[in-house]
Amino acid sequence: MQYEILSRPAASVAKLTLEAGESVTCEVGAMIAMSTGFDVQTTTRNKGGGGGIVKGLKRMFAGENLFLNHFTATQPNQTLIIGPGLLGDVIHYPMRGGTLVVQGSSWLASATGIDIDATWQGLGKALFSGEGMFWVKCSGSGDLFLNSFGAIYPVDVTGEYVVDTGHIVAFEDTLQFRIGKAGKSLIGSFLGGEGLVCKFSGQGRLYCQSHNPPSFGKLLGPKLKPR
Amino acid sequence: MIEFTCPSCGEHYRVSDDLAGKRAKCKECGDVLEVPMPAADDADEYAVAGPSAPAAVGSAPPTAGQPSPAAPGPAKTAPAVPPSDEVLQGATDHFAYEINQRPDFALVSVKLQPGQKVFAEPSAMASMSPSVHLKAGFKGGLGKTLGRALGGESLIINTFTAQDGPGEVTFAAGSPGDVTYYRLTGNTLYLQRGAFMLHSEGVELSGKWQGAKGFFSGEGLVLLKASGNGDIFFNSYGAILQVDVTDRYIVDTGYIVAFEDTLQYRVTILPGLRAGGKLKTLFFGGEGLVCQFSGQGKVWIQTRHVPSFLSWVNPFRRTKSR
Repeated sequence: MQYEILSRPAASVAKLTLEAGESVTCEVGAMIAMSTGFDVQTTTRNKGGGGGIVKGLKRMFAGENLFLNHFTATQPNQTLIIGPGLLGDVIHYPMRGGTLVVQGSSWLASATGIDIDATWQGLGKALFSGEGMFWVKCSGSGDLFLNSFGAIYPVDVTGEYVVDTGHIVAFEDTLQFRIGKAGKSLIGSFLGGEGLVCKFSGQGRLYCQSHNPPSFGKLLGPKLKPR
Repeated sequence: MIEFTCPSCGEHYRVSDDLAGKRAKCKECGDVLEVPMPAADDADEYAVAGPSAPAAVGSAPPTAGQPSPAAPGPAKTAPAVPPSDEVLQGATDHFAYEINQRPDFALVSVKLQPGQKVFAEPSAMASMSPSVHLKAGFKGGLGKTLGRALGGESLIINTFTAQDGPGEVTFAAGSPGDVTYYRLTGNTLYLQRGAFMLHSEGVELSGKWQGAKGFFSGEGLVLLKASGNGDIFFNSYGAILQVDVTDRYIVDTGYIVAFEDTLQYRVTILPGLRAGGKLKTLFFGGEGLVCQFSGQGKVWIQTRHVPSFLSWVNPFRRTKSR
């Protein structure tokens, strides 16, 4: 698979070029345009793998759709343009056998060599991390495409690192995180507008997004007509 | 495509590249003319918005058989390339133009010589020199005006004329996004609802009833049709990518910005779904209806669309108290 990330950073899309027989699994609704030599399938499971309805339901809780779209090229040199719904960047992450934990709505597409599964991070993290209840766990090897709201920036963590809730895109599973308060005192943390934060420890790469979708939504919501 | 004009009568022609160097009779005046060589870096070719400079290009090896150990991290970081800040500029018979701040906040500036005019949709003007006069009005009679209205544009077209010396007008679209320039040479360009931004003299805008195609496409029932000889600028939410269709191509109906009339199109469900077969992709796959283009020509697609933003923001609205 060849890829190109176009029109970065706010309106980024990934342009994928597939050879006959190659296949890619995309988030539902991600397809913008494509050549005609694709076979498109909608399933609840990973391509060629297990999973089925249970994994599908778990993905649904992870902020992803119950269904996945598989695009398989039936002719050589087929192009597919995919992009997320919100303004923001797209990055390519080459998987080489490790595991990457992706925040629910940041998963865009992955090659067939990658197994995607929703994972439960525990009640505390689910409630306070500012992210979804579930995370998408990607493992295996191949090309993985992630999207963010706003810009995306990598941080190589050795030791400890603090990220505000709602800004996590993905992290390698060699990192652990726990929910903690930003300052010394809990009240001070909340008054400072930071409240709870995610404290990472270990060694690995972490991807953060510059903007936090719920913050933007809470800014817009009250200004709109009630539904 | 080679674009040229007859040296004796000025008739515009567009012919395919393989006719370069051939001699032919002009349809208008009968003079023998020679088809020029394709101009690779002609200013106009450049002015057409190609996909912006790729920020990250790569090819990944096939996934099979890579026994590399659990890598501590990807070998390369996502390259932090600044946004494509290329300026598209050019000069036409009607004015000189520049498109800055692409693709997110595209701003068109048009330089007018005394007497030159530019026509724009209402409220597109961001700033202008005092020498430019603005006149709002209906243009092209009742039929054209209504056609435009059905095509999702305003009834009113603003005319900007440089009267007291040369002047400059800058235009920006209502939403953040990209702007693309296109030169019409006697051909027709179809624009999605609301995509039109401004045009020069010599361009006619009207509505084009799409029939059932429009009904199913999720977009308007009427496309905006631009024809004539002149310059046109169109905009979208998100970036605009140009695709040269040589045979067939599929675009999600919500992402079409414009296309040349040399292309035929039909609204269809994704191929791979045969009649009576798996209808799952249509109902659950999210990319139910697509527009399938065939023929030869250019189609412009936008990389984001407003409905997905709206459906995202909707849950944040307050609920009505009862």
